Amino acid sequence: MPTIIRDLPETSSYWAAIWTLCPLPDVHVLCDAPIGCFNLVATAVPDYTDAIPHIANVTPSVITEKEVGGSGTGAAVKRTWENLREAGLLAGKRLIVVSTAESEMIGSDLSDLVTQLEPGTTFFHSESLSHDEWLGRDRVLQWAWEQYGAAGAADLAAEPGLVNIIGPTYGCFNSTADLHELKRLIEGAGGRLNQVFPFESTLAQMPHLARAAVNVVMYKEFGHTLAETLGRPWLHAPIGIRGTIDFVRRLGQLLGTSAQAEAFIRREKQTTLQAVWDLWKGPQSDWFHTTSIGIVATGTYVDGLITYLGEELGMNIAFAVRRPRRPDDLDTETLRDLLHSRPPSFVFGSINEKIYLSEGGKKQTTFLPAAFPGPVVRRSMGTPFMGFHGTVYLVQEIVNQLYETLYNFLPLDSAYARAAAPAAGGPPPATVAVAAPGNLPWAEEARAVLDAALEKLPFLARISASRELQMQVEAEARARGIAEITRQLAAEVLNTHRK
Amino acid sequence: MSDVIPLHASPGSQKPCQLHPQSMCPAFGSLRILTRIEGSHPVMATDTGCLYGLTFVTHFYGARKSILAAHLGTSELMSGEVVESTRAAIEVAAREPGCRLIPVVSLCVAETAGLPEEMLPRQVGEAEVVLVRVPAYAIHSHPEAKDVAMAALLRRLGTRDGAREEKTLVVLGEVFPADPLVIDGLLRKMGGAGTISLPGRSIDDLRRAARAGALAPLHPFYKDTMSVFRGWDLPIVGGAPVGASGSYAWLKAVGTLLNLDPALVNQVAEAERDKAQALLNAQPLSGRILVTGYEGTELAYARLLVEAGAEVPYVSTSIGADPLVLPDELWLRSRGTKEIVYRKTLEDDVAALDTYKPDLVLGTTPFCSIAKERGIPALYFTNQLASRPFFLSSGLAATIGFMQQMLTRRAQYEWMQTFFEDDGQEAAHAHHHS
Repeated sequence: MPTIIRDLPETSSYWAAIWTLCPLPDVHVLCDAPIGCFNLVATAVPDYTDAIPHIANVTPSVITEKEVGGSGTGAAVKRTWENLREAGLLAGKRLIVVSTAESEMIGSDLSDLVTQLEPGTTFFHSESLSHDEWLGRDRVLQWAWEQYGAAGAADLAAEPGLVNIIGPTYGCFNSTADLHELKRLIEGAGGRLNQVFPFESTLAQMPHLARAAVNVVMYKEFGHTLAETLGRPWLHAPIGIRGTIDFVRRLGQLLGTSAQAEAFIRREKQTTLQAVWDLWKGPQSDWFHTTSIGIVATGTYVDGLITYLGEELGMNIAFAVRRPRRPDDLDTETLRDLLHSRPPSFVFGSINEKIYLSEGGKKQTTFLPAAFPGPVVRRSMGTPFMGFHGTVYLVQEIVNQLYETLYNFLPLDSAYARAAAPAAGGPPPATVAVAAPGNLPWAEEARAVLDAALEKLPFLARISASRELQMQVEAEARARGIAEITRQLAAEVLNTHRK
Repeated sequence: MSDVIPLHASPGSQKPCQLHPQSMCPAFGSLRILTRIEGSHPVMATDTGCLYGLTFVTHFYGARKSILAAHLGTSELMSGEVVESTRAAIEVAAREPGCRLIPVVSLCVAETAGLPEEMLPRQVGEAEVVLVRVPAYAIHSHPEAKDVAMAALLRRLGTRDGAREEKTLVVLGEVFPADPLVIDGLLRKMGGAGTISLPGRSIDDLRRAARAGALAPLHPFYKDTMSVFRGWDLPIVGGAPVGASGSYAWLKAVGTLLNLDPALVNQVAEAERDKAQALLNAQPLSGRILVTGYEGTELAYARLLVEAGAEVPYVSTSIGADPLVLPDELWLRSRGTKEIVYRKTLEDDVAALDTYKPDLVLGTTPFCSIAKERGIPALYFTNQLASRPFFLSSGLAATIGFMQQMLTRRAQYEWMQTFFEDDGQEAAHAHHHS
């Protein structure tokens, strides 16, 4: 049975190669690509994932019918290289030629051709027809080390106290804030930053990765192969209170700065983390026990959110799906059905999950962006999921959205809706619930329909919603001159207005 | 960024290296149209990188619609399972509620591997299955992929069987929703029966279109679609209702082709021309503007701006040169436009920026960012212009008003440029290392 993809959540290793190599300012990538593969990777998508106007140091060979029809891409790549050189775009740059799905499809292997281009030009076969973006990033980091790092690193010794961060690249959700927090944690634990790679680094500096005593790999999805190759102790970046304490403590031990690390933890407890303690002592945390959470994100975020929101704060994790998907994770069809029928109070996810909530008309579920794909600006340093600041940011977001849910269910005088409706010129409004004197009698089966409808709503909203839904059904009954609410009427109104 | 772009001080003396062609992935043009139709559930045949990117932009600019695809990895592509996988995805699409149309969007790798149309079903349940071939390597620009998709849909769905709608006009081209409403209103005033807007939301409009009285392509890249209508013997209105003279001529042509009462048509056309002229007289534009988008509609926009008093020395677009664009090109050249570039690259636009030193740029995102780095006000044509009313006097008023506003914004752009060019230069670039 062929595999069907619904709303693909992760891209290919060609994208990974561009998004990993192009943050290095001394690299120019020549992608062996048709115009579309160039535009999507270099402009149309990073405009909205990384909030950059475009990636300037990538140029396509522009595969056309001619190349596909038999001539191959060699001549086009060579011509592009000549133009790049003539335009002065290669001054001070390393040229890397990268294959795409289409160039692989027509069997274009340029490993020989690159030896005829700029001296030192290399060819990265991205394996784009079979590898996903996570494997792609991991592989290209390792490949870059072998090509540009290892030789120069041979006689570099590790310096005590120096720490590298491996990751992020373009297309890593929320990386600005997470990276900022991670640097703060490393310095707090007594470490000194050596390199952040590839962001904030150059290809020429790559050998200097060998100088760090410890490596921190930001994501579980990629970078571990390079960290293993570097041969120093390495840690993953943390999410949650306990995870972050463990991280700072472990880093302190590895660097021999345990006293500093412990002092940092104490200080954070008295400052940054006080917000979590106050919210815990206040009325806010009482809601956590009835707050349900669904998560669709990278394994890094999924594991962190399960630990922090679920185990530490006591929220109910309704489901969690990792990217890349593990065999025991929900498949997309099942996930979509779940979001259509019985979504949790919060969904952390990508635009795919947001669309499924829209399809199901699930207005009571709050969507919080936590993964790509989807257009979202995440360039502020103040929105981390990772580290101590992350624990505060996450709980603050959730509580504010709970307030929002509550607000949306508070009664609003119906006269305004009735007055606004004709002026707007839009479609006729759904029955406006009008508070009428007294209640209409409800048949027992009708009451059961109402209860079922309420069951589907997030807990916090139910008190206000129960009155709201009751009023809607009764308003419809009064409009039709029905004296008692029947099961049919309740089902009709509640299924139309709130699936 | 400006330091890495080749500078060409003297225009025309040397053509810049054409390195970075400017278009959305061509296939996106088709997806935008295909996903917006009610009851349409596209199936894509492509590799995962392409699928991810196209799904991303479709979910941003197309529709809140789930996108299905066959998984085409190395093994499927090399062992000839493209058809089998695509058929399986079609079956899943057919189960979507209300599914009436399944466009199969075949992209680079599937086209290279081969996806024979006769191996796909024509119909599954209630749904028509329509193959749309839009490999980027062959289509070159996303406006032209809109044409491919429209033509494929109309070839399958358009039917001459049924009552003719002789006084109905098919208005072809993706435009701001207010524009067709205004066109429809004027047409009814002239005695017409109404309009059918394509691309649109309704499958039934695709069927009806074949029985209308005439076709009015508002954009100049619907070549294949026009030939479908020619096959149905529908007369075609040239040009578009742009500006005072353009609107007048267009309304008169529509009236003639639909056999409407000439006196009534003339009355409406004159009233519209006078209204547009009054607007032009009341608030003329003054300033130098480069129109450099990739929507295929740039020449018409330039024409409106020139008519409103702006100087537009340079226009560039993603589509190829074509007789359909020629009237606008000639009109512009006779009124001072010096360069018109088809299938443009970023380098063409940057050379024009050096040469003409404009007051305002309407362009692609990479080009706009370069203009902004020089303190020049710039707008992404696709987001800000192609999504505003444009046609007839109402569109003219909206467009000119917006342009006037933008021409007063230089101070903000200059302040930002000065601020970030100073010490901030490194900080502004640290993240994207241009």
